[in-house]
Amino acid sequence: MISIVASMFPSYSSILYQVLQDHTTQEEIQWLDSIPKTDSLALMTSFVKTPRFIQKTTIQKTSQNLIPEIPGFQVEHWNLVRLSRVWLLTFVSDFPKDQCIQTIETLFDTAELNELVALFSALPLLPFPEVWLPKATDAVRSNMGFVFDAIAIQNPFPFQYFSELAWNQLVLKTIFNAKPIELIYGLIERKNLNLAFSTIDFVKERWAAGRDVPANVWQLVSLYVSESEISLIERLFLSEKEEDQIAASLICSESNWNSFQSLFIKYPKYKEEIQKRKWDWSKLSIVFK
Amino acid sequence: MCENNHQTSNHPSHFENQNDSNEIPTHVELKWDEFQEKIRGFRFFDPHIHMVSRTTDDYQNMAQAGIVAVIEPAFWVGQPRTGLSTFKDYYSSLVGWERFRSSQFGIKHYCTIGLNSREANNERLADEVMEILPLYIYKEGVVGIGEIGFDDQTELEEKYYRLQLELAKEAKLPVQIHTPHRDKKRGTERSMSIALEHGLDPSFVVVDHNNEETVKSVLDQGFYAAFTIYPFTKMGNKRMVSIVEEYGAEKIMINSSADWGISDPLAIPKTAALMVSRGISHDVIRKVTYENAIEAFAKSGQIHVSDFENGLSSDPSDKFHGNSVLRGGQQPKRNQNSLFID
Ligand SMILES: [Zn+2]
Repeated sequence: MISIVASMFPSYSSILYQVLQDHTTQEEIQWLDSIPKTDSLALMTSFVKTPRFIQKTTIQKTSQNLIPEIPGFQVEHWNLVRLSRVWLLTFVSDFPKDQCIQTIETLFDTAELNELVALFSALPLLPFPEVWLPKATDAVRSNMGFVFDAIAIQNPFPFQYFSELAWNQLVLKTIFNAKPIELIYGLIERKNLNLAFSTIDFVKERWAAGRDVPANVWQLVSLYVSESEISLIERLFLSEKEEDQIAASLICSESNWNSFQSLFIKYPKYKEEIQKRKWDWSKLSIVFK
Repeated sequence: MCENNHQTSNHPSHFENQNDSNEIPTHVELKWDEFQEKIRGFRFFDPHIHMVSRTTDDYQNMAQAGIVAVIEPAFWVGQPRTGLSTFKDYYSSLVGWERFRSSQFGIKHYCTIGLNSREANNERLADEVMEILPLYIYKEGVVGIGEIGFDDQTELEEKYYRLQLELAKEAKLPVQIHTPHRDKKRGTERSMSIALEHGLDPSFVVVDHNNEETVKSVLDQGFYAAFTIYPFTKMGNKRMVSIVEEYGAEKIMINSSADWGISDPLAIPKTAALMVSRGISHDVIRKVTYENAIEAFAKSGQIHVSDFENGLSSDPSDKFHGNSVLRGGQQPKRNQNSLFID
């Protein structure tokens, strides 16, 4: 089965190599070519030494669907060091299982910040996802922003492999860290009741502390909010911020509860615009970034 | 080797002995705003500080006092480590968490990696550590091998000192030498002659914790001479000023070596303020508190002054999403003069 797939698609290595070729200098690609790809120690030290040979040029536009078998995997805005490292890891994938796991584990054990970012970025491409799952959920607990980002932002691994509990933690921590939830891959598809409850609790805590939450967070709550929470939505309508009022309107437009419909009649300002599709959750994320 | 560690109870730090000093700290003589006025416009680089044992308040104060970059040498964390994993975790914290925490306060964090002399006396563990060192010394922001050298001046200390000098030579990295507090003069000479014996270029070697007794020989042989300003101990900052007056600024650098002992992460700015008061030229002060350290450790190819001289510019990926990496939108600076804790 796997071999059929492999023959149908270019390998991950060759797809990434193509991007590297498009962005590196002659000298840089020569160094990448010179690394022995079947020697685990050589791959590990090259992984560490990459910044000595590769510049941190940021990759601009690339295909959003770079690897068709792994939707959501993309390298846009990565720098070349990160991409080179992920590319090196695709060769570790070809090792026998034990050696592959041991090599990756050693790299994790000894990694510095940027190496961790590369390792977490590579997870969607590595075999044996169940082995890396605990590391990925641990990364969500990281206090180091870019380590957290590497797993949470534009990475399809959590969407595919996280349990509901771990997924909800990831989303909540993204909100807590004031990062854009719309960059979490699969956010809408994995909305769920428990996440909505936790989000409501979180919003109440924030409000009690005199702080607010980004308006697009309410999309996690919409569909799940009960009539007993109507005062929250009314408070949102009364917010000074336009985006909060739009969020409240979107919730009412999606709700079947009578009380919410009455509320919508009381605060109809955005009703028409929503019906005309001027506003939805994704537009709220873009306009009020 | 563990038996030696009972002595640490007399040691406020990893390198100083409280008993053999009657130096009174001088850093309290200036009022805070006078101090701030004196160092206005200076940037400082502390090439030896153990931030792992310092608090976040220290980072805030350091940033406010003009410290823009630090080097954290790997050293002894206060009690012996019992296994390889704790070494790995420690090295990883130097290149990971600590570097990150520092960046939150606009301070660029580098480190030197090495097996410290105290723990070189545990041969089994030392051998294991030597095996993993190559995975660390080539990392980004690792500016040297350090701090290595002698503590009790045992044979095992010498063995691992030599092995690490070889590693430094192979990796073309500077070396940061810790000189012993007991029998310092002999230990310093021995460290230097072994480094020369291994063919190290003395301009790649920073000899640390100098005093009046050692400085001349270190400079004469072409090494960098670093001085640790540490309260209650051999080198207070008044004496430091005299040394700069006598020897000038060439190849001399000042550090705090602040750690879990009674030490002061503001030792450099405070010493700079004292030098300003004593009429030492700003050029000289800049050399011993900033430029010389950069010159020495930039030989690693890992220091880019543009990364910190005008505030920390991080890797674009760090700031890519424009987020604050602090928890819950905290700000890196809070108003310490306010009674309200928001
Ligand atoms: Zn030290």
